[in-house]
Amino acid sequence: MSEEILAKLAQAVIDGEPEDAEGLARQALAGGLDPLRCINEGLTPGIDRVGELFATGEYFLPDLIIGGDAMKAALAVLEPALTGDQERKVLGRVVLGTVEGDLHEIGKTLVGTMLTANGFEVTDIGIDRPAAEFVSAVKETGATLVGASALLTTTMLHQQEVIEALREAGLREQVKVMVGGAPVTESWAAKIGADGYAEDAISAVDLAKRLAGAG
Amino acid sequence: MHKIDPIRPSFRLEVLTAGQIQQIQAATLHILERVGVHFPSQRALQVFAEHGAQVDWEGQVVRMVPELVMGALSHAPRSYVLSGRAAGTELILDGTASYFGTDGCGTLTLDFETGEQRRSCKDDVARMARVSDYLSSVSFYWPMVSAQDFGRLAPLHELDAAFSNTVKHVQSETVMGEKPAQYAVRMAEAIAGDRERMRARPPFSVLVCTIAPLGQDPEGIEASMVYAEAGIPVGFMAMPNMGATAPAVPGGALTVGNAEVVSAMVLMQLVAPGAPVFYSLLASVMDPRTADYIVAIPEKYLCNTAAVQLAHDWGVPVLAGAFGMDTAEPATWQIGRDHVYTALMVPLAGADLVTGGGMLKASTLLVPEQIIYDDEIYHTHRVLVQGIDTGADGLALDVIAAVGPRGHYLTQEHTRQHLRKIWIPGLTQPRPPLDGSPLPDIRERARAELDRILAQHEPEPLDGAIRTELQAILDAAARELGV
Repeated sequence: MSEEILAKLAQAVIDGEPEDAEGLARQALAGGLDPLRCINEGLTPGIDRVGELFATGEYFLPDLIIGGDAMKAALAVLEPALTGDQERKVLGRVVLGTVEGDLHEIGKTLVGTMLTANGFEVTDIGIDRPAAEFVSAVKETGATLVGASALLTTTMLHQQEVIEALREAGLREQVKVMVGGAPVTESWAAKIGADGYAEDAISAVDLAKRLAGAG
Repeated sequence: MHKIDPIRPSFRLEVLTAGQIQQIQAATLHILERVGVHFPSQRALQVFAEHGAQVDWEGQVVRMVPELVMGALSHAPRSYVLSGRAAGTELILDGTASYFGTDGCGTLTLDFETGEQRRSCKDDVARMARVSDYLSSVSFYWPMVSAQDFGRLAPLHELDAAFSNTVKHVQSETVMGEKPAQYAVRMAEAIAGDRERMRARPPFSVLVCTIAPLGQDPEGIEASMVYAEAGIPVGFMAMPNMGATAPAVPGGALTVGNAEVVSAMVLMQLVAPGAPVFYSLLASVMDPRTADYIVAIPEKYLCNTAAVQLAHDWGVPVLAGAFGMDTAEPATWQIGRDHVYTALMVPLAGADLVTGGGMLKASTLLVPEQIIYDDEIYHTHRVLVQGIDTGADGLALDVIAAVGPRGHYLTQEHTRQHLRKIWIPGLTQPRPPLDGSPLPDIRERARAELDRILAQHEPEPLDGAIRTELQAILDAAARELGV
């Protein structure tokens, strides 16, 4: 029974079925399964497989995102059930958002999905977020990585404000900051004192792993 | 994967109005009646004389009245089927689809290994047949180069290499003369199983070139009568060169070419009423400074497209031309420009068959990876002419409402399904290498794809008994015709 449900959890992630994944997670808990085991032996192998299928070109971005959504739906059930000493193993905690004045969402969401699929715990604070919200999210989650997205030449200036706000809050030593978005370049990242720049969601994963000392 | 994936246009292109078509047809009938066409074949002259044409025996020129022309052509079928030697390789020539094939028949090859230019050989024909067997853009195979290592028997060996390395329909433009044609018919019979099956689903067809202006090739005409009697579909291609072998105006070039093709199709119907025939006309322009042959030029694109309309007005299928342009360099701006015009205009006009993929330097030079570029242009056009679906699924109103303002479509099931149906050009939008290495240059990518196909694709082999029979026919031909 337990092996079967773990395999089904993995398959729900691979197939991109958030409702199935959530239902299976509830069923697993009701059946007395260890939530950590469900994550490590069900969801994680599932999302790893999604990552592989994407890397080999078989899966497209929607498959990847829907797979990530399925994982998130199951995690929302399983994580609150973890006991005190249990903790999901993650490569790092990331706070991700689009800066103030900028309503662009898709690129940031893709980066979040890719990071989640690769073992990071992502807190997506959304779009049009002032620097102060990045700071408070870092405080709440204990994140060690911040991703700030900007799609306009006029809003990319706010990426610098995020870095300054983190410094003023005394958090700059604790976190690495990565920036991205269509107008952003390597040299802009260097100019504003960011720790890294990635051109797309796939290279953002490599960058995050490097910054987290995991890749 | 489909073996063949024809182009099915949802919208059409017409370069001639109905009135203009009538003007050209009337001019053609006038030429056939008053000027005549040169038929250097005693048998052909005899047939024409028996059916009331006016024959100038000394000059070998035939003149025919419109009633004779229209009466004969009324027997020619508008629709018929060409077939390969496996299921899923049928070409249904009914005006709803355009089937593309390879180009031919060149005499030079860029060597597959060294890249050096050399004389072509039978193995080149075989290798390109294997590549063509794989590519769904290729619906029928023309032996692309001459099997020059087999001397006088080269054309029959080209057929042998083609039949042995692809299950697709084979069309030849080289097996000419009465005797070689009889051997080719025997080979086609061996492939089909017997003569009746060969007639019903011919695995082989032939294209005969006329000689501009207003002439026929003796070997070609002798062969075509053999083919027509055997039920092998036979087409005639006029190649008027504007300024040299045709008037330097598209209308005149079309009229001259039309008269050549129509006169030959009339002969086929007199010899074997109801014989499947097809029409072909590829114009070009003489370089006014060097007398060279210019194929990449607007007049050619226009005439080729007009020819499709003219053929259908006569009530027969048409073989149009695409690709195969002047330059010898693949992956250039020039070749891209030229290949797009031809390969888009003729299917939009409704061409049943289209030849031309894979060759350069005006169809004389085989550049092995060129077919990979042409394949990508082909599929671009295949998708392009499908047009736009405005049905419920095509408009996706529910999905638009579900996402609403300011959302995105990435997580919609509709997106997931339909994004997968969109054809992504593999050559111009390649997948990044998995190991993170830099993307190779487009020429390297095209070459790598060709090498991959050659290394991995094994066409369905010919039955052993058929293989033995083909060899016996080739041996008999060698004994009778010499080598």
